Amino acid sequence: MINTKILDKILNKVEKPARYIGMEQNSIKKDLDKVKVKFAFSFPDVYDVGMSHLGLHIIYNLINNEEDFACERVFAPWLDMEEEMRKEKLPLFTLESKEEVKNFDFLGFTLQYEMSYTNILNILDLANIPLLSKDRKDEDPFVIAGGPCAYNPEPIADFIDFFVIGEGEEVILEILNLYKDHKEAKGSRDEFLEKVATIDGVYVPKFYDVVYNDDNTIKEMIPLHPNVPKVIKKRMIRDLDSMFSPEKMIVPFIETVHDRVVLEIFRGCTHGCRFCQAGMIYRPIREKSIDRLVELAEKLIESTGYENISLSSLSSCDYSQLYLLISELMKKFEEKKVGVSLPSLRLDTFIIDVLKEIEKVRKTGLTFAPEAGSQRLRDVINKGVTEEDLINTVTKVFKEGWSTIKLYFMIGLPTETDEDVLGIKELSYKVKDIFFSLPKEERQGNLKVTASASCFVPKPFTPFQWVGQDSIDEFYRKARLLKDSIKDKKVTFNYHDPKLSYLEAVIARGDRRVSKLILRAWEKGCKYDGWSEHFKYDKWIEAMEELDIDGDFYALRTRELDEILPWDFIDPLVSKNYLIREYKKSLEEQTTRDCREGCRGCGIVDCIMRGEYK
Amino acid sequence: MILRIKFNKKNYLRYISHLDLMRLFQRSFNKANIPIKYSEGFNPHPKFSIGAPLSLGIESNEEYMDIDLEYMAVDEFIERMNGVLPKDIQIISGKYLEREESLNSIIAWGEYEIQFQMNTKRDMEEVNEIVNNWLQKEEITITKVRKKKGQKIEKAINIKPFIKHIIVKGVGDNITINALLRTGSNGNLNPVDLMFALNRDNGLSIDLDEVRIKRIGLYAEKGDQIYKPL
Ligand code: SF4
Repeated sequence: MINTKILDKILNKVEKPARYIGMEQNSIKKDLDKVKVKFAFSFPDVYDVGMSHLGLHIIYNLINNEEDFACERVFAPWLDMEEEMRKEKLPLFTLESKEEVKNFDFLGFTLQYEMSYTNILNILDLANIPLLSKDRKDEDPFVIAGGPCAYNPEPIADFIDFFVIGEGEEVILEILNLYKDHKEAKGSRDEFLEKVATIDGVYVPKFYDVVYNDDNTIKEMIPLHPNVPKVIKKRMIRDLDSMFSPEKMIVPFIETVHDRVVLEIFRGCTHGCRFCQAGMIYRPIREKSIDRLVELAEKLIESTGYENISLSSLSSCDYSQLYLLISELMKKFEEKKVGVSLPSLRLDTFIIDVLKEIEKVRKTGLTFAPEAGSQRLRDVINKGVTEEDLINTVTKVFKEGWSTIKLYFMIGLPTETDEDVLGIKELSYKVKDIFFSLPKEERQGNLKVTASASCFVPKPFTPFQWVGQDSIDEFYRKARLLKDSIKDKKVTFNYHDPKLSYLEAVIARGDRRVSKLILRAWEKGCKYDGWSEHFKYDKWIEAMEELDIDGDFYALRTRELDEILPWDFIDPLVSKNYLIREYKKSLEEQTTRDCREGCRGCGIVDCIMRGEYK
Repeated sequence: MILRIKFNKKNYLRYISHLDLMRLFQRSFNKANIPIKYSEGFNPHPKFSIGAPLSLGIESNEEYMDIDLEYMAVDEFIERMNGVLPKDIQIISGKYLEREESLNSIIAWGEYEIQFQMNTKRDMEEVNEIVNNWLQKEEITITKVRKKKGQKIEKAINIKPFIKHIIVKGVGDNITINALLRTGSNGNLNPVDLMFALNRDNGLSIDLDEVRIKRIGLYAEKGDQIYKPL
């Protein structure tokens, strides 16, 4: 255990000290001397953000359910806390036992966004764990990582001992059981890595070498060990009903992003938006049954005391019996005053009925994501939403009494012209016109339309993985074009920082050499890059110059279809051929319909959806 | 009916803010199935209030809360609630009020046990002398900074009338004092400010971050009578 006297002193000085004390309801503190394997789970951002991540609650309860294992949490300390910890030489500790992270067997990171990578280094440093995998010794923990960004593990391959690709519910226990035996047999660090590399879905970077061409593209990836696979296939759970699902969630003392029960209703999404990584890597759709969901909801409400349930998935309105599910939940919890909400909405008139059901009193703002301003461009990205859809939905929504609408768009999408960009204004104005075209007695409140544009970042394992990103200047030009054209007080326009999106693109499609860039940026003081107020663009550029790394090579360059991509050795089940086909179709402005209406041949062998969704 | 309860807040849970404590109780009422009453209106919320909110970082042996609920036996209430509350926040006792009288209107004094270290070791007599001489002063002023419409407004306050007494309890490795201070909506002296002033005026080099404070009692006042709210 760390010196708690020092901790006490520090806690009096920092903002929101409850971030560092643990002891929340449903947190689990085991006697660390009695368990066989100790796992420290880390979300590399501040507590308030990390605690809102559903995956944390799943893995935490899954591991702690096993008698021999303990899982404790560690987050990135906020900057004030870090300063005090460094001043007092207090090493990073887990919230439950206040034990040094260094004394755990594993430190596991969840990778949710690329701009959290400098925080990973900061956490390792505060924990006194060597930053580079090659420098770690037998007594150091295994530093591992999983989550969506692990589908391109290469940019942090120097820091992570091994990655877990795909859904973790089964594989994490396989790994910990393997380690338990290994520890009892007193094996060496390398022996364990050799063994773990043979588990499906596990990638150990040190057993592979990458050879480059003269033009800096990849020539070959060579396995260095006879037993390691050439291709790492993602792990996927077939049946979500029988899979482990938590019946408890830790309830933070402080307010976090989600102050409610988060109920995962299904995984996967088959709309096939061509920019969306989640839509590809989580395929196919697998639902939990209504019975199972009601059972879980009851237990979660009982164990947390929360008054709200949020139905979570990539696109909740797609749940095949959503209406029935919601009525069942409402019926069950009517007396308890428990509310139900949906976080992600699609433009579908069907949702209006559902919304009426669940938002009985409160008329909070609604969010829609048309993603592109023109129909042409929506076809390119395969966002199956028409202007008519939006108009119909918005009309009904206004009649129901809403007056605050948020519209999400992207700029810099492939093939985008200025006309498409200005389409964002056109669409926002149309929404405004609908409101005022309603008879006065039918509209309520003060209209507020907010159009937000993020800058398109091409992601691995999407049909746009080959596409070059717009330059920072081009993003600014397009954003200004829009900003200058929107002159209505009822319509607000804002856009994300193009500089941040540029770096996101560098890292998202980076190769192993990007590890050095991340390390250098961290050495220059970069951390919490995802927080605009802490993002230090100049430091990143400085680091690139010093290391002679060309960011444009990763972010702006359009790749040839036959180029070996840094993440090609990972098999997400969806085939590369399918992605190429989709890419080509996008350039021809052809759409691909949702595969619930018929299989589109995305390459998943033995897909459980086929036949089921007819 | 209004149930008044006494509860504590110990160890690390002293870092839970007042607002977070309110949310903790709200969830705990749900979990324990307490028939609490809700306010009417657009956005109904459960009816309970805590008297004289504690500042962050201070422990307490006795905090008070009034809860509006359908009658249930006090023992059962305590048992059910303590089953769902964390072990460092527990209800100690409770009683239904005979007549309504809000906690905030009656609480006037708080007693604090304060532990700290000085630059040099001093014996009981010396510490007593320092404290007593200090309290002899005509006025003890501190400056409070308030933010109003983005502007900082400084205000000097004489805290002398807010100090009823200070008793030196012990001088071991730590010095322990008990202080009875004005607490509540009709004047409030935060013990942290008391320590700041004591340190400043007497040059004691106390590390204010290491001062440990615990509220050991809350008192109501009527006329010249001081009594416990329960
Ligand atoms: S294999 Fe066919 S049905 Fe299954 S996800 Fe792919 S396109 Fe859809």
